[in-house]
Amino acid sequence: MSINPNEEEQDEPGGLGMGDPESNRNPQRGYKMLRDVSPVVTISGVIPSRENADAHLVGRHADVLSVLRNPEVFSSRFDAVHIGQVRPLIPLQIDPPDHSKYRKLLDPLFAPRRIALLEDRTRSLVAGLVDRVVEDGECNFHDAVAEPLPSTVFLELLGLPVSRAAEFLALKDGIIRPEAETPEQRSEIVDATGAQIYAVLEEVVEQRLAAPQDDFISSFLSAEVDGHQLTSEEVIDICYLFFLAGLDTVTASLDCMMARLAQNPGERRRLVDDPEIISLAVEEMLRWETPVTSVVRVTTQETELSGCPIGANEVVSVMIGSANTDERAWDNPDLVDADRQVNKHLAFGGGVHRCLGSHLARMELRVTLEEWHARIPDYHIPDGVELDYSPSLRQIANLPLAW
Amino acid sequence: MHLDRQLCQGHGRCYALAPAVYEPDDDGHGLVASDPVPDFYHEAARLGSANCPEDAITVADD
Repeated sequence: MSINPNEEEQDEPGGLGMGDPESNRNPQRGYKMLRDVSPVVTISGVIPSRENADAHLVGRHADVLSVLRNPEVFSSRFDAVHIGQVRPLIPLQIDPPDHSKYRKLLDPLFAPRRIALLEDRTRSLVAGLVDRVVEDGECNFHDAVAEPLPSTVFLELLGLPVSRAAEFLALKDGIIRPEAETPEQRSEIVDATGAQIYAVLEEVVEQRLAAPQDDFISSFLSAEVDGHQLTSEEVIDICYLFFLAGLDTVTASLDCMMARLAQNPGERRRLVDDPEIISLAVEEMLRWETPVTSVVRVTTQETELSGCPIGANEVVSVMIGSANTDERAWDNPDLVDADRQVNKHLAFGGGVHRCLGSHLARMELRVTLEEWHARIPDYHIPDGVELDYSPSLRQIANLPLAW
Repeated sequence: MHLDRQLCQGHGRCYALAPAVYEPDDDGHGLVASDPVPDFYHEAARLGSANCPEDAITVADD
Protein backbone atom coordinates (compact mmCIF):
# COMPACT_ATOMS: atom_id res chain seq x y z
CA MET A 1 0.00 0.00 0.00
CA SER A 2 1.39 3.40 -0.82
CA ILE A 3 1.40 6.21 1.64
CA ASN A 4 1.25 9.51 -0.10
CA PRO A 5 -0.25 12.10 2.21
CA ASN A 6 -1.50 14.95 0.06
CA GLU A 7 0.01 18.38 0.36
CA GLU A 8 -2.37 19.82 2.91
CA GLU A 9 -1.30 17.12 5.31
CA GLN A 10 2.42 17.71 5.13
CA ASP A 11 2.45 19.48 8.49
CA GLU A 12 0.11 17.03 10.18
CA PRO A 13 1.39 13.97 12.03
CA GLY A 14 0.94 12.12 8.76
CA GLY A 15 3.36 14.45 7.01
CA LEU A 16 6.28 12.16 7.62
CA GLY A 17 7.82 12.79 4.28
CA MET A 18 6.88 9.31 3.16
CA GLY A 19 6.53 9.08 -0.58
CA ASP A 20 9.15 11.63 -1.70
CA PRO A 21 12.22 10.29 -3.53
CA GLU A 22 14.62 10.75 -0.61
CA SER A 23 12.41 8.93 1.87
CA ASN A 24 11.78 6.18 -0.68
CA ARG A 25 15.56 5.73 -0.85
CA ASN A 26 16.03 5.90 2.93
CA PRO A 27 12.70 5.31 4.64
CA GLN A 28 14.23 4.51 8.02
CA ARG A 29 14.27 8.13 9.23
CA GLY A 30 10.58 8.53 8.42
CA TYR A 31 9.84 5.29 10.25
CA LYS A 32 11.51 6.69 13.35
CA MET A 33 9.44 9.86 13.16
CA LEU A 34 6.34 7.74 12.82
CA ARG A 35 7.21 5.68 15.90
CA ASP A 36 8.07 8.75 17.92
CA VAL A 37 4.82 10.60 17.10
CA SER A 38 2.51 7.88 18.42
CA PRO A 39 1.97 4.10 18.38
CA VAL A 40 -0.84 4.72 15.89
CA VAL A 41 -0.68 7.60 13.40
CA THR A 42 -3.86 8.22 11.45
CA ILE A 43 -3.60 9.72 7.98
CA SER A 44 -6.83 10.89 6.48
CA GLY A 45 -8.09 10.20 3.01
CA VAL A 46 -5.35 8.01 1.60
CA ILE A 47 -7.07 4.75 0.69
CA PRO A 48 -8.30 5.30 -2.87
CA SER A 49 -9.93 1.89 -3.11
CA ARG A 50 -12.08 2.62 -0.05
CA GLU A 51 -13.51 6.02 -0.99
CA ASN A 52 -10.41 7.71 0.35
CA ALA A 53 -10.76 6.25 3.82
CA ASP A 54 -8.30 6.98 6.63
CA ALA A 55 -5.34 4.71 7.31
CA HIS A 56 -3.94 3.95 10.73
CA LEU A 57 -0.19 3.52 10.53
CA VAL A 58 1.30 1.19 13.14
CA GLY A 59 5.08 1.46 13.43
CA ARG A 60 6.31 0.09 16.73
CA HIS A 61 7.56 -3.49 16.79
CA ALA A 62 5.38 -4.64 19.71
CA ASP A 63 2.22 -3.20 18.14
CA VAL A 64 3.07 -4.64 14.73
CA LEU A 65 3.35 -8.06 16.35
CA SER A 66 0.02 -7.53 18.13
CA VAL A 67 -1.68 -6.84 14.81
CA LEU A 68 -0.04 -9.68 12.89
CA ARG A 69 -0.76 -12.22 15.62
CA ASN A 70 -4.39 -11.28 16.10
CA PRO A 71 -6.21 -12.04 12.82
CA GLU A 72 -9.60 -12.21 14.54
CA VAL A 73 -9.43 -8.44 15.17
CA PHE A 74 -7.04 -7.37 12.42
CA SER A 75 -8.32 -9.22 9.40
CA SER A 76 -6.61 -9.68 6.06
CA ARG A 77 -10.01 -10.23 4.40
CA PHE A 78 -11.16 -9.36 0.88
CA ASP A 79 -11.53 -5.60 1.39
CA ALA A 80 -8.16 -5.04 3.09
CA VAL A 81 -6.51 -4.35 -0.24
CA HIS A 82 -7.94 -3.86 -3.69
CA ILE A 83 -5.66 -5.25 -6.34
CA GLY A 84 -8.16 -5.97 -9.07
CA GLN A 85 -9.53 -9.12 -7.50
CA VAL A 86 -13.23 -9.97 -7.63
CA ARG A 87 -13.03 -12.79 -5.06
CA PRO A 88 -10.87 -13.19 -1.96
CA LEU A 89 -7.32 -14.13 -2.83
CA ILE A 90 -6.25 -17.49 -1.43
CA PRO A 91 -4.77 -17.79 1.15
CA LEU A 92 -3.98 -14.11 1.90
CA GLN A 93 -7.58 -12.92 2.15
CA ILE A 94 -8.95 -15.95 3.95
CA ASP A 95 -8.99 -15.69 7.72
CA PRO A 96 -8.77 -18.59 10.18
CA PRO A 97 -10.11 -21.23 10.46
CA ASP A 98 -10.51 -21.75 6.68
CA HIS A 99 -7.09 -20.23 6.12
CA SER A 100 -5.26 -23.17 7.64
CA LYS A 101 -6.91 -25.63 5.24
CA TYR A 102 -5.35 -23.87 2.29
CA ARG A 103 -2.00 -23.39 4.00
CA LYS A 104 -1.94 -27.10 4.81
CA LEU A 105 -2.08 -27.73 1.06
CA LEU A 106 0.34 -24.98 0.04
CA ASP A 107 2.96 -24.97 2.81
CA PRO A 108 4.62 -28.27 1.78
CA LEU A 109 5.01 -27.00 -1.79
CA PHE A 110 7.03 -24.03 -0.52
CA ALA A 111 8.83 -25.73 2.37
CA PRO A 112 12.64 -25.69 2.37
CA ARG A 113 12.90 -29.32 1.25
CA ARG A 114 10.91 -28.63 -1.91
CA ILE A 115 12.62 -25.32 -2.55
CA ALA A 116 16.03 -27.00 -2.33
CA LEU A 117 15.05 -28.98 -5.45
CA LEU A 118 14.89 -25.69 -7.38
CA GLU A 119 18.32 -24.46 -6.36
CA ASP A 120 20.38 -25.97 -9.22
CA ARG A 121 18.01 -24.65 -11.85
CA THR A 122 17.98 -21.21 -10.19
CA ARG A 123 21.77 -21.19 -10.04
CA SER A 124 22.11 -21.93 -13.72
CA LEU A 125 19.56 -19.24 -14.58
CA VAL A 126 21.51 -16.65 -12.55
CA ALA A 127 24.80 -17.79 -14.07
CA GLY A 128 23.36 -17.36 -17.55
CA LEU A 129 22.03 -13.89 -16.80
CA VAL A 130 25.28 -12.66 -15.24
CA ASP A 131 27.46 -14.25 -17.95
CA ARG A 132 25.46 -12.33 -20.53
CA VAL A 133 26.62 -8.98 -19.10
CA VAL A 134 29.96 -9.75 -17.46
CA GLU A 135 32.04 -8.69 -20.48
CA ASP A 136 30.06 -5.48 -20.94
CA GLY A 137 31.41 -3.87 -17.78
CA GLU A 138 28.02 -2.39 -17.01
CA CYS A 139 24.32 -3.20 -16.89
CA ASN A 140 21.01 -2.08 -15.53
CA PHE A 141 20.82 -4.72 -12.81
CA HIS A 142 17.04 -4.47 -12.59
CA ASP A 143 16.59 -5.37 -16.27
CA ALA A 144 19.52 -7.78 -16.50
CA VAL A 145 18.91 -9.90 -13.40
CA ALA A 146 16.43 -8.64 -10.80
CA GLU A 147 13.40 -8.88 -13.04
CA PRO A 148 14.09 -11.86 -15.33
CA LEU A 149 15.41 -14.23 -12.64
CA PRO A 150 12.47 -14.42 -10.23
CA SER A 151 9.89 -14.19 -12.97
CA THR A 152 11.44 -17.12 -14.85
CA VAL A 153 11.71 -19.22 -11.66
CA PHE A 154 8.16 -18.41 -10.73
CA LEU A 155 6.54 -18.90 -14.13
CA GLU A 156 8.27 -22.27 -14.56
CA LEU A 157 7.13 -23.35 -11.12
CA LEU A 158 3.55 -22.29 -11.58
CA GLY A 159 3.32 -23.56 -15.15
CA LEU A 160 2.75 -20.31 -17.03
CA PRO A 161 4.63 -19.87 -20.33
CA VAL A 162 7.95 -18.07 -19.75
CA SER A 163 7.76 -16.85 -23.36
CA ARG A 164 4.96 -14.51 -22.23
CA ALA A 165 6.95 -13.09 -19.29
CA ALA A 166 6.97 -9.51 -20.65
CA GLU A 167 3.19 -9.53 -21.01
CA PHE A 168 2.74 -10.90 -17.47
CA LEU A 169 5.15 -8.37 -15.98
CA ALA A 170 3.21 -5.54 -17.62
CA LEU A 171 -0.02 -6.91 -16.15
CA LYS A 172 1.57 -7.16 -12.70
CA ASP A 173 2.76 -3.54 -12.96
CA GLY A 174 -0.74 -2.49 -14.02
CA ILE A 175 -1.92 -3.61 -10.60
CA ILE A 176 1.01 -2.63 -8.41
CA ARG A 177 2.12 0.58 -10.15
CA PRO A 178 -0.82 1.82 -12.21
CA GLU A 179 0.01 4.99 -14.13
CA ALA A 180 -2.95 6.94 -12.85
CA GLU A 181 -3.51 10.59 -11.96
CA THR A 182 -6.62 10.15 -9.84
CA PRO A 183 -8.06 7.46 -7.54
CA GLU A 184 -10.82 6.86 -10.11
CA GLN A 185 -8.29 6.29 -12.87
CA ARG A 186 -6.31 4.01 -10.63
CA SER A 187 -9.36 1.96 -9.86
CA GLU A 188 -10.27 1.68 -13.56
CA ILE A 189 -6.78 0.57 -14.57
CA VAL A 190 -6.52 -1.92 -11.71
CA ASP A 191 -9.91 -3.47 -12.46
CA ALA A 192 -9.23 -3.71 -16.20
CA THR A 193 -5.81 -5.27 -15.54
CA GLY A 194 -7.31 -7.67 -13.02
CA ALA A 195 -9.81 -8.84 -15.63
CA GLN A 196 -6.92 -9.57 -18.01
CA ILE A 197 -5.08 -11.56 -15.35
CA TYR A 198 -8.20 -13.61 -14.67
CA ALA A 199 -8.51 -14.26 -18.39
CA VAL A 200 -4.92 -15.51 -18.63
CA LEU A 201 -5.37 -17.79 -15.64
CA GLU A 202 -8.74 -19.11 -16.80
CA GLU A 203 -7.22 -20.01 -20.15
CA VAL A 204 -4.29 -21.88 -18.56
CA VAL A 205 -6.54 -23.67 -16.06
CA GLU A 206 -8.74 -24.88 -18.93
CA GLN A 207 -5.68 -26.19 -20.74
CA ARG A 208 -4.35 -27.97 -17.65
CA LEU A 209 -7.73 -29.52 -16.92
CA ALA A 210 -7.67 -30.99 -20.41
CA ALA A 211 -4.00 -31.99 -20.31
CA PRO A 212 -2.27 -31.93 -16.91
CA GLN A 213 1.45 -31.16 -16.79
CA ASP A 214 4.14 -31.34 -14.13
CA ASP A 215 3.45 -27.91 -12.65
CA PHE A 216 1.72 -26.24 -9.70
CA ILE A 217 -1.47 -25.38 -11.55
CA SER A 218 -1.97 -29.01 -12.56
CA SER A 219 -1.27 -30.25 -9.04
CA PHE A 220 -3.67 -27.68 -7.54
CA LEU A 221 -6.39 -28.88 -9.87
CA SER A 222 -6.13 -32.39 -8.51
CA ALA A 223 -5.61 -31.33 -4.87
CA GLU A 224 -8.13 -31.79 -2.11
CA VAL A 225 -8.81 -29.37 0.71
CA ASP A 226 -10.98 -30.47 3.59
CA GLY A 227 -12.32 -33.45 1.66
CA HIS A 228 -13.25 -31.64 -1.54
CA GLN A 229 -11.32 -31.15 -4.72
CA LEU A 230 -10.25 -27.56 -5.33
CA THR A 231 -12.56 -25.86 -7.80
CA SER A 232 -11.20 -24.05 -10.86
CA GLU A 233 -12.16 -20.79 -9.17
CA GLU A 234 -10.16 -21.64 -6.07
CA VAL A 235 -7.14 -22.56 -8.19
CA ILE A 236 -7.45 -19.25 -10.04
CA ASP A 237 -7.74 -17.34 -6.75
CA ILE A 238 -4.52 -18.95 -5.52
CA CYS A 239 -2.73 -18.25 -8.80
CA TYR A 240 -3.89 -14.61 -8.94
CA LEU A 241 -2.20 -13.97 -5.62
CA PHE A 242 0.94 -15.85 -6.69
CA PHE A 243 1.00 -13.87 -9.91
CA LEU A 244 1.26 -10.57 -8.05
CA ALA A 245 3.43 -11.77 -5.17
CA GLY A 246 5.73 -13.97 -7.25
CA LEU A 247 6.49 -11.44 -9.94
CA ASP A 248 7.42 -8.47 -7.82
CA THR A 249 8.82 -8.98 -4.35
CA VAL A 250 12.06 -10.83 -5.07
CA THR A 251 12.80 -8.29 -7.79
CA ALA A 252 12.41 -5.47 -5.28
CA SER A 253 14.59 -7.32 -2.76
CA LEU A 254 17.36 -7.91 -5.30
CA ASP A 255 17.27 -4.25 -6.34
CA CYS A 256 17.51 -3.05 -2.73
CA MET A 257 20.33 -5.44 -1.85
CA MET A 258 22.51 -4.80 -4.89
CA ALA A 259 22.04 -1.03 -4.59
CA ARG A 260 23.12 -1.29 -0.98
CA LEU A 261 26.15 -3.48 -1.71
CA ALA A 262 27.23 -1.26 -4.61
CA GLN A 263 27.35 1.69 -2.23
CA ASN A 264 28.89 -0.11 0.76
CA PRO A 265 32.16 -1.70 -0.36
CA GLY A 266 32.96 -2.94 3.16
CA GLU A 267 29.79 -5.01 3.34
CA ARG A 268 30.34 -6.22 -0.21
CA ARG A 269 33.94 -7.23 0.48
CA ARG A 270 32.78 -9.46 3.33
CA LEU A 271 30.46 -11.39 1.02
CA VAL A 272 33.17 -11.79 -1.58
CA ASP A 273 35.78 -12.93 0.95
CA ASP A 274 33.42 -15.21 2.83
CA PRO A 275 30.46 -16.39 0.74
CA GLU A 276 29.31 -18.46 3.74
CA ILE A 277 28.07 -15.23 5.31
CA ILE A 278 25.72 -14.46 2.42
CA SER A 279 22.65 -16.10 3.94
CA LEU A 280 23.05 -14.05 7.13
CA ALA A 281 23.73 -10.90 5.11
CA VAL A 282 20.50 -11.55 3.21
CA GLU A 283 18.60 -11.67 6.51
CA GLU A 284 20.19 -8.46 7.72
CA MET A 285 19.51 -6.63 4.47
CA LEU A 286 15.92 -7.90 4.53
CA ARG A 287 15.64 -6.35 7.99
CA TRP A 288 17.20 -3.01 7.14
CA GLU A 289 15.81 -2.55 3.63
CA THR A 290 12.44 -4.28 4.20
CA PRO A 291 11.65 -4.27 0.46
CA VAL A 292 7.93 -4.87 1.12
CA THR A 293 7.47 -2.00 3.54
CA SER A 294 3.98 -2.68 4.87
CA VAL A 295 0.98 -4.99 4.89
CA VAL A 296 -2.65 -4.07 5.35
CA ARG A 297 -5.33 -5.27 7.73
CA VAL A 298 -8.95 -4.25 8.41
CA THR A 299 -10.39 -4.16 11.93
CA THR A 300 -13.36 -6.45 12.54
CA GLN A 301 -14.36 -4.59 15.72
CA GLU A 302 -13.47 -1.55 17.80
CA THR A 303 -10.09 -2.07 19.33
CA GLU A 304 -6.99 -0.31 20.60
CA LEU A 305 -3.23 -0.52 20.27
CA SER A 306 -1.01 0.78 23.07
CA GLY A 307 -3.92 2.89 24.30
CA CYS A 308 -4.80 4.33 20.88
CA PRO A 309 -8.42 3.59 19.90
CA ILE A 310 -9.20 2.25 16.43
CA GLY A 311 -12.77 1.92 15.14
CA ALA A 312 -14.34 -1.11 13.48
CA ASN A 313 -13.93 -1.66 9.73
CA GLU A 314 -10.96 0.65 9.51
CA VAL A 315 -7.73 0.19 7.59
CA VAL A 316 -4.53 -0.51 9.48
CA SER A 317 -1.24 -0.17 7.65
CA VAL A 318 1.26 -2.43 9.37
CA MET A 319 4.67 -0.81 8.89
CA ILE A 320 6.97 -3.81 9.01
CA GLY A 321 9.93 -1.74 7.82
CA SER A 322 9.47 0.40 10.90
CA ALA A 323 9.14 -2.61 13.22
CA ASN A 324 12.39 -3.93 11.76
CA THR A 325 14.26 -0.77 12.76
CA ASP A 326 12.52 0.02 16.06
CA GLU A 327 15.04 0.96 18.76
CA ARG A 328 12.55 -0.39 21.30
CA ALA A 329 13.12 -3.90 19.96
CA TRP A 330 16.61 -3.93 18.46
CA ASP A 331 20.14 -3.30 19.71
CA ASN A 332 21.81 -0.80 17.38
CA PRO A 333 18.98 -0.92 14.83
CA ASP A 334 20.79 1.51 12.51
CA LEU A 335 23.83 -0.74 12.24
CA VAL A 336 23.67 -3.11 9.27
CA ASP A 337 25.60 -6.09 10.59
CA ALA A 338 25.49 -9.57 9.09
CA ASP A 339 26.94 -10.92 12.35
CA ARG A 340 23.92 -9.79 14.34
CA GLN A 341 23.24 -12.65 16.75
CA VAL A 342 19.52 -12.03 17.08
CA ASN A 343 17.56 -11.14 13.97
CA LYS A 344 13.83 -11.73 14.32
CA HIS A 345 12.94 -9.44 11.42
CA LEU A 346 9.43 -9.37 10.05
CA ALA A 347 10.32 -8.73 6.40
CA PHE A 348 8.12 -11.72 5.47
CA GLY A 349 5.37 -10.61 7.83
CA GLY A 350 4.33 -12.79 10.73
CA GLY A 351 1.43 -14.63 12.24
CA VAL A 352 -0.76 -16.93 10.15
CA HIS A 353 -0.14 -14.99 6.93
CA ARG A 354 3.66 -15.28 7.06
CA CYS A 355 4.82 -15.02 3.45
CA LEU A 356 4.21 -18.40 1.84
CA GLY A 357 7.10 -17.84 -0.58
CA SER A 358 9.68 -16.83 2.01
CA HIS A 359 11.84 -19.92 1.60
CA LEU A 360 11.78 -19.60 -2.19
CA ALA A 361 12.67 -15.91 -1.89
CA ARG A 362 15.56 -16.62 0.48
CA MET A 363 16.99 -19.23 -1.85
CA GLU A 364 16.76 -16.94 -4.89
CA LEU A 365 18.36 -14.04 -3.03
CA ARG A 366 21.23 -16.12 -1.66
CA VAL A 367 21.98 -17.88 -4.95
CA THR A 368 21.88 -14.63 -6.91
CA LEU A 369 24.31 -12.92 -4.54
CA GLU A 370 26.60 -15.97 -4.59
CA GLU A 371 26.73 -16.26 -8.37
CA TRP A 372 27.00 -12.51 -9.02
CA HIS A 373 29.84 -11.93 -6.57
CA ALA A 374 31.76 -14.99 -7.77
CA ARG A 375 31.88 -13.30 -11.19
CA ILE A 376 31.74 -9.58 -10.45
CA PRO A 377 33.20 -8.87 -7.02
CA ASP A 378 33.70 -5.12 -7.48
CA TYR A 379 31.12 -2.79 -8.94
CA HIS A 380 29.67 0.63 -8.33
CA ILE A 381 26.87 2.93 -9.29
CA PRO A 382 28.15 5.42 -11.89
CA ASP A 383 28.69 8.99 -10.68
CA GLY A 384 25.74 11.30 -10.90
CA VAL A 385 23.09 8.59 -10.81
CA GLU A 386 20.35 9.13 -8.25
CA LEU A 387 18.43 5.96 -7.54
CA ASP A 388 14.67 6.17 -7.63
CA TYR A 389 12.93 3.60 -5.40
CA SER A 390 9.25 2.94 -5.95
CA PRO A 391 7.23 3.42 -2.75
CA SER A 392 5.81 0.53 -0.71
CA LEU A 393 7.31 -2.19 -2.90
CA ARG A 394 10.82 -0.88 -3.23
CA GLN A 395 11.91 -1.59 -6.79
CA ILE A 396 14.61 0.43 -8.55
CA ALA A 397 13.65 0.32 -12.23
CA ASN A 398 16.92 2.01 -13.23
CA LEU A 399 19.79 0.45 -11.29
CA PRO A 400 22.95 1.00 -13.35
CA LEU A 401 26.01 -0.88 -12.13
CA ALA A 402 29.53 -0.62 -13.60
CA TRP A 403 32.66 -2.71 -12.99
CA MET B 1 12.73 -26.84 26.02
CA HIS B 2 9.44 -26.31 24.28
CA LEU B 3 8.53 -25.43 20.69
CA ASP B 4 4.91 -24.27 20.57
CA ARG B 5 3.47 -25.72 17.37
CA GLN B 6 0.48 -23.36 17.58
CA LEU B 7 2.70 -20.28 17.57
CA CYS B 8 5.18 -21.58 14.98
CA GLN B 9 4.41 -20.17 11.52
CA GLY B 10 7.22 -21.83 9.61
CA HIS B 11 9.67 -18.93 9.28
CA GLY B 12 12.37 -21.60 9.50
CA ARG B 13 14.95 -19.57 11.35
CA CYS B 14 15.50 -22.15 14.12
CA TYR B 15 16.49 -25.01 11.85
CA ALA B 16 18.44 -22.71 9.52
CA LEU B 17 20.58 -21.33 12.35
CA ALA B 18 20.77 -24.38 14.62
CA PRO B 19 20.26 -27.53 12.53
CA ALA B 20 21.77 -29.72 15.24
CA VAL B 21 18.80 -28.97 17.46
CA TYR B 22 15.92 -28.14 15.15
CA GLU B 23 14.64 -29.65 11.91
CA PRO B 24 11.83 -28.81 9.49
CA ASP B 25 8.72 -30.93 9.08
CA ASP B 26 7.19 -31.45 5.64
CA ASP B 27 5.35 -28.11 5.92
CA GLY B 28 8.52 -26.21 6.83
CA HIS B 29 7.50 -25.77 10.45
CA GLY B 30 10.06 -26.36 13.16
CA LEU B 31 10.58 -29.53 15.19
CA VAL B 32 12.98 -30.21 18.02
CA ALA B 33 15.33 -32.79 16.53
CA SER B 34 16.83 -34.06 19.73
CA ASP B 35 15.00 -33.80 23.03
CA PRO B 36 16.41 -33.67 25.61
CA VAL B 37 19.02 -31.38 24.11
CA PRO B 38 22.57 -32.46 25.02
CA ASP B 39 24.49 -29.91 27.09
CA PHE B 40 26.85 -29.03 24.27
CA TYR B 41 23.90 -27.96 22.10
CA HIS B 42 22.34 -25.60 24.62
CA GLU B 43 23.87 -22.55 22.99
CA ALA B 44 22.49 -23.61 19.60
CA ALA B 45 19.07 -24.24 21.16
CA ARG B 46 19.08 -20.72 22.57
CA LEU B 47 20.22 -19.24 19.25
CA GLY B 48 17.21 -20.81 17.53
CA SER B 49 14.88 -19.64 20.27
CA ALA B 50 16.23 -16.07 20.25
CA ASN B 51 15.74 -15.82 16.48
CA CYS B 52 12.15 -17.05 16.29
CA PRO B 53 10.01 -14.17 14.96
CA GLU B 54 6.94 -15.70 16.61
CA ASP B 55 8.58 -16.26 20.04
CA ALA B 56 7.45 -19.87 19.78
CA ILE B 57 10.45 -21.51 21.45
CA THR B 58 11.32 -21.46 25.12
CA VAL B 59 14.56 -22.89 26.42
CA ALA B 60 14.80 -23.43 30.14
CA ASP B 61 17.86 -22.06 31.92
CA ASP B 62 20.64 -24.52 32.70
